Amino acid sequence: MDRRDFLKCSVTGCGLLLTAESGGRALAALAAPAAKLSRVEAKYYQKLPDREIKCDLCPRFCQLGDKERGFCGVRENQDGKYYTLVYGKVCSYNIDPIEKKPFFHFLPGSAAFSLATAGCNLSCKFCQNWQISQMRPEQVQNIDLPPEAVAEQANRYNCPVIAYTYSEPVIFYEYMYDTSVSARRRGIKNVVVSAGYINPEPLADLIKVVEAIKIDLKAFNQDFYTNYVRGELQPVLDAIKQIARSKVWLEIVYLVIPTLNDNPEEIRMMSRWLKNEIGPDYPIHFSRFHPMYLIKNLPPTPVSTLEKLRDIALEEGLHYVYMGNVPGHPAESTYCPSCGKLIIERYGYTVKKKGLSGNKCQHCGQTIPGVWS
Amino acid sequence: MESSRVVIITSRNVLSASGIPEPKIVLRMLRKGLELLTGVSKAEDGLSAFFKPGERLGIKVNTIGRRALSTLPETSVTLGLWLGQTILREDNIIIWDRTNEELKDTGYKLTDARGSLRVFGTDSRGSGYTEEPLVNRSIGSLFSRIQAEMIDASISLAILKDHGLAGVTAGMKNYFGAIHNPNKYHDHHCNPYIPELFETSLIREKHRLTILDALKVQYHRGPSFNPKWAENCQKFILSSDPVAADAVGWKIIEDLRARKGLPSLKEENREPVYLFTAERLDLGQATLNNIKIVEEEI
Repeated sequence: MDRRDFLKCSVTGCGLLLTAESGGRALAALAAPAAKLSRVEAKYYQKLPDREIKCDLCPRFCQLGDKERGFCGVRENQDGKYYTLVYGKVCSYNIDPIEKKPFFHFLPGSAAFSLATAGCNLSCKFCQNWQISQMRPEQVQNIDLPPEAVAEQANRYNCPVIAYTYSEPVIFYEYMYDTSVSARRRGIKNVVVSAGYINPEPLADLIKVVEAIKIDLKAFNQDFYTNYVRGELQPVLDAIKQIARSKVWLEIVYLVIPTLNDNPEEIRMMSRWLKNEIGPDYPIHFSRFHPMYLIKNLPPTPVSTLEKLRDIALEEGLHYVYMGNVPGHPAESTYCPSCGKLIIERYGYTVKKKGLSGNKCQHCGQTIPGVWS
Repeated sequence: MESSRVVIITSRNVLSASGIPEPKIVLRMLRKGLELLTGVSKAEDGLSAFFKPGERLGIKVNTIGRRALSTLPETSVTLGLWLGQTILREDNIIIWDRTNEELKDTGYKLTDARGSLRVFGTDSRGSGYTEEPLVNRSIGSLFSRIQAEMIDASISLAILKDHGLAGVTAGMKNYFGAIHNPNKYHDHHCNPYIPELFETSLIREKHRLTILDALKVQYHRGPSFNPKWAENCQKFILSSDPVAADAVGWKIIEDLRARKGLPSLKEENREPVYLFTAERLDLGQATLNNIKIVEEEI
């Protein structure tokens, strides 16, 4: 493909992702479509008798016979060995503002070289990128982009950050890990956008090679995780605590879906839990839901609901509570928790640093947690 | 409650020494099975109970086990050719599964030529999946365009196997190969996903006949092929009741397990409970007392 032929969205060519990508910079096509899936041995699995395996990457612990795939759809038992089929097989890539992930306290205004493979270890009925996350790799169009090439491309496009995003990076763990190691050698930072459905050991190893992780906390009750996510809440909470204990920067997103996970009392409990378990300084973003995938019968989240939930989180003592998918709302901006003055002004993905000096509030000297340079 | 009829037809000569079905005997078995199922003396006369001339038929095979444990062309093509010579047009019949690769590895010759039986996978050019997910209860999936758009009637010509998660995989679970995301529906013993998928209009309204290929049955450590626990049973199981056919398949697996000194699926905590969910959803009979089993050996 000619370099002038820009891919504005993923190589899947899907319309929805185009919408999701609309805040990003167009990116020249990097490579020809991949002919085959990868066959790289997975980390974190056990070999069992009779060519069965047990995957230890995520809390599902899929136990699989020969030729079977895990819930994620991208890992396969082939004759008693477990392989990732998506190592270097990128189905979506773009250059996005880091605010789009969203990270608000991590190198504001930076460009993030963003990529994904097909697959996910959850099955959210409201998935905003279901055309790649709920697909098997052979059902989308992939390109070959080995770890070294990702780092090279990030350099080439002046991106100080690589973001593993769009689908669920946990399922392309080996690729993400090796790419992160390669990128670090070049001074590029790595951020992960995940639902946090990962076991402690692989998470501990991942934490050693990335700089920031954003966790999508889908709700604060197990019923929601059972009925709308097909997963367990507790491992996600454990992952949040594990990240907060590390040196990796953490932000949390909570997609507010009308009537399903917008109970104010639950938000109050969640805010208390966050404050008690990880402290008040990690940002939380209440994002606006738009009808998608299997949930099309609900309206977009009213802005007033987001405002109400934000107020509750602030009342409970969380310091940095944002609203997402509401461009122009004052709650997109960062305010000093000490003096209340505006520190970083945002409009959509546009950023103006107004009152931040280094990592301190210019007005009162309060330290503002995050990675600012 | 009216009982469902399930026919088990056996031939001790259908498999060659190397385990390959002999087409002539396959055809004799299937014809006899249909006669016993429909109560007619000539199988051709019973076909109108299932198909109307001019209809487009899909024969959904199961080829994940490749040549070792799949619906082989010696069976499915034999069936397709016979139906093409009797009640349907040959080029209105598609033998299909998820991928061309699986079909080829199983010994199928892919073809979409006019005038002859068609054989191809959902990943063929011109096939693929529907664009919007179809939702039914707890499932939401894109469907193979073959199942959704290219056929009016369907036969599930499935392999009968033990299944580590579902307990038993047979005719109903075979339709997991008709959706884009079967990997999402294997937890909780595939329950209620198998019946809820079957209940969708694209399957329930098109499914006419279950034929379980029990020529070689994996009765333990399935669904992968493990020769240590595979038995040449040389049977076909036929029924218009998809649940009853699978329930009888389950019984055959349990009988084999008992004979080999293995614990029952219940004892291994992997009973195919989805069959009882299917019964509750009115998809058919799962209780053996409500199933009339007709057995014959030729």
